[in-house]
Amino acid sequence: MAREHLSNDDFFTQLVTLIETTHQKGHGSVYLTQKRLTYGTSDPSPPTAKVPDDPLWDLHPPNPLPLIVRATDGKSHKLAKEEGADATGGIGRTKNGEKVKLSTVVQPESIEAFFTRYAEVCKVGMRGLRRRDRSKRKKKEKGKKKGLAEGAKP
Amino acid sequence: MVYLKTPEEWQHHSALLLQARPTTTRITTKYKIPNLASPKYQKPNRRKRDGGEGEQKEQHTGSKVSRAALVLKTYDPESGVVLKLKTDKAADVGRLIAGLGRLGRRMAALPEKAEEAVMEDAEVAEQAAVGGAAAPTGKETTAAINDGKAPQAPGGGGGGGGAKKKKKGKK
Repeated sequence: MAREHLSNDDFFTQLVTLIETTHQKGHGSVYLTQKRLTYGTSDPSPPTAKVPDDPLWDLHPPNPLPLIVRATDGKSHKLAKEEGADATGGIGRTKNGEKVKLSTVVQPESIEAFFTRYAEVCKVGMRGLRRRDRSKRKKKEKGKKKGLAEGAKP
Repeated sequence: MVYLKTPEEWQHHSALLLQARPTTTRITTKYKIPNLASPKYQKPNRRKRDGGEGEQKEQHTGSKVSRAALVLKTYDPESGVVLKLKTDKAADVGRLIAGLGRLGRRMAALPEKAEEAVMEDAEVAEQAAVGGAAAPTGKETTAAINDGKAPQAPGGGGGGGGAKKKKKGKK
């Protein structure tokens, strides 16, 4: 249970582990969330304080704000018993103390680097997605040239 | 809730939502490996078997392997707007994460990079009017942005914003 924010490096290390364990299990989900960090900043007067009269109060903050990126396995609850799984839904569920929760704060200046690495981690980790179907294209390439022109578009 | 058809569309609408509500909007990426043994994936099979053209579909689902999917969701709790995108193409991952980076810059209130702004305009060339207003440079442009966005993502108006968005997405 990580209550503290991780450093970007630690976040990635643990995210890789999280995705890997999901793969090993054969099923499951990984949730990744990003949003503007709006609380707990060291800034004494938060630039994002809500101004009731102005609906556009948050559109142009004076300074760039950090982001918070979270990752979880979505397992907030676990079934107390196997029988608890049937129709009753909520009954038989207990809080899952072992829920994986990771979070990190991304400073505005490191956004670029963070997302480059984020993309790498995701591309490597997120297997099981449909690869581009090359066999179909090959067949069409072998066929008439007309077929190629049509087949290349979709 | 709206499922958008293409990553470009999702990116564009998310950018508009983020522009209107940069503080409350969050983007969740769900990477899901379905458990094909769970009852959820057994039920539809049975129903299709009962149907007229059951055999064909049964064959289809019979060869089903555990196929992971990626679902991106942009959610603004204040107006209740939800924009979703579902994909199972590996080729989309890199592009989508790059898109998340671009949206991240908006969240952080960083100015857009020039090349990215151009790219986005190209992506949504058919919506040129809105795209043109999508480059916030200063306070003067606020009004213009809102005017341009009015039919799609009204800044104020809470739940009403959500309703309008929904209608737009269904078209």
